[in-house]
Amino acid sequence: MSRTRRLGLVGGLAAVAVAATPFACLWALQARDAEPPPANVVLDIAIWTAVFGTPAMLAAWLLWRAWWRQAGQRLSALDGPGWLLAAAAATLPVDRRHWGPAMAAELTQVQDRPARWRFAAGCARTALFPPSGSRAAVSVTGALAAGAIAAAAVLTGAALPAGRLFALVLVGLLGGLATLAVARSRWVGWTAPGPALTGLALAGVTACLGFTIYYLAEHPSYGGVDRAAAVSLPPVTAVVLAVALAGCLGLALRPPRWLLPDRKARWFGIAMAVALVGGFLLDARLVQPGRNPGSHGMMGYLFNGPLLVILPGSALAAAVGRSLRSGLWACAWAVVLAAPLLITAWLAEALHWDQVGRGAVLDGAGPMGVGVNLGDAVWWPLLFLALWALPLGVLGAAAGSWRARRRRSRQQARLAPTA
Amino acid sequence: MISFRRPSKQATAVVLALAEEPAAWRYGYELCQRLGLEASSLYPVLMRLADRGLLETAWESDVPADRLPRHRYRLTGPGRVLAGRLAAEPPARPTPARAAGRVRRRPRLEGT
Repeated sequence: MSRTRRLGLVGGLAAVAVAATPFACLWALQARDAEPPPANVVLDIAIWTAVFGTPAMLAAWLLWRAWWRQAGQRLSALDGPGWLLAAAAATLPVDRRHWGPAMAAELTQVQDRPARWRFAAGCARTALFPPSGSRAAVSVTGALAAGAIAAAAVLTGAALPAGRLFALVLVGLLGGLATLAVARSRWVGWTAPGPALTGLALAGVTACLGFTIYYLAEHPSYGGVDRAAAVSLPPVTAVVLAVALAGCLGLALRPPRWLLPDRKARWFGIAMAVALVGGFLLDARLVQPGRNPGSHGMMGYLFNGPLLVILPGSALAAAVGRSLRSGLWACAWAVVLAAPLLITAWLAEALHWDQVGRGAVLDGAGPMGVGVNLGDAVWWPLLFLALWALPLGVLGAAAGSWRARRRRSRQQARLAPTA
Repeated sequence: MISFRRPSKQATAVVLALAEEPAAWRYGYELCQRLGLEASSLYPVLMRLADRGLLETAWESDVPADRLPRHRYRLTGPGRVLAGRLAAEPPARPTPARAAGRVRRRPRLEGT
């Protein structure tokens, strides 16, 4: 077996193992919490975890294979310094992209191994922190970020103590991202992925922020399972929500260059996100009220929604764009946009469900107080989007691009005899 | 007429090295070795000079299939003007720390 194939196989297995890790952790947590844990319950959980984990593992394998096919031949010929430089050069901003190959070509001239490492490390440092166009702009952005963090600490300390950690992490991340973006760019300004996508992301994050503040002000705690008061937004959940919102905003305002090229994929992403959230609201308002109170929540939709929207949507995007990448980009944008919108829809519906006495949105259990929905709205949509919707999108994109490739090769075969 | 602000020591060294044979193309690693600069110092200087229109860059042509084309550099017209001014200026006075020998001096250009 050649070195390229061996590395490809090892990398593929590692990707599958990484994809399986969250599911193994979930299985271990659920098996530990099952009281008492008889063997059949543990087995039952294992089967369900395997069912949910299979698309993620398949998707990881497909992604690795597609990437390795394109880059494997070149990368397997590289040594450690070459890998270091290639990885760092991939992060160069669009306007400095050509410096990556320039530095890589010079590395081939360095023969001595320690000198190669030194040269590659120096180039990697330049690639990660290229000179900025305006040091004043970086200083001003950094100072504004520091000021915003201080203001958030003072304001939340006085008016919203339950949201202090959330506000500090969110403002800190946004300030850090803004400073980094200005520092890494030659020109101050940005290449946004289009007004519709940016507007939708901004609207989603703003609405999510508004609802979170409302919940923290009005429902900072709820009656827990054992009736002891529980905090609506525990520290870990606050950090996860802040990271998710900052990530969505960062991607929508300043996306990495590989997410930008395909305009159609962006529109597919917008359509899928709107359809996913629209379906959630329809299911919550029209379907769920017809069922027995207390027996159903929106958990079923989190499973079915991506199956009905993300899987075919990504397949269609890949078929239209005639490439796996088009489907992947569409799926990525759908997940980025859907995350804040789904959390917002969940929190909005939770208020309505509480008014009509339907309990928690997740499973209809209640009454524990509307505050229980804040943590649920953060964890469950994000978990399902990351571990279920994204893998389904990858599978859809692979199916769509495979169909497009087959149709193209058939057309070529039909044209061949006449040519 | 280009605006003149004295560049850093490394940038000055790079500009003067490129000005020795203005018509000749130079390579990144070659400049690193010649000036004793690390890649982390040289490439930001090259990027800044190129941003300001002082440096002309081009890819090698007619390269064998088994070798990557290298990026080449030489000064533009304004770059040569800057080099002339830098060469005519007296060298910058050492800082007190340098004068006291507490900071390692960067290797000097050949012949300077």
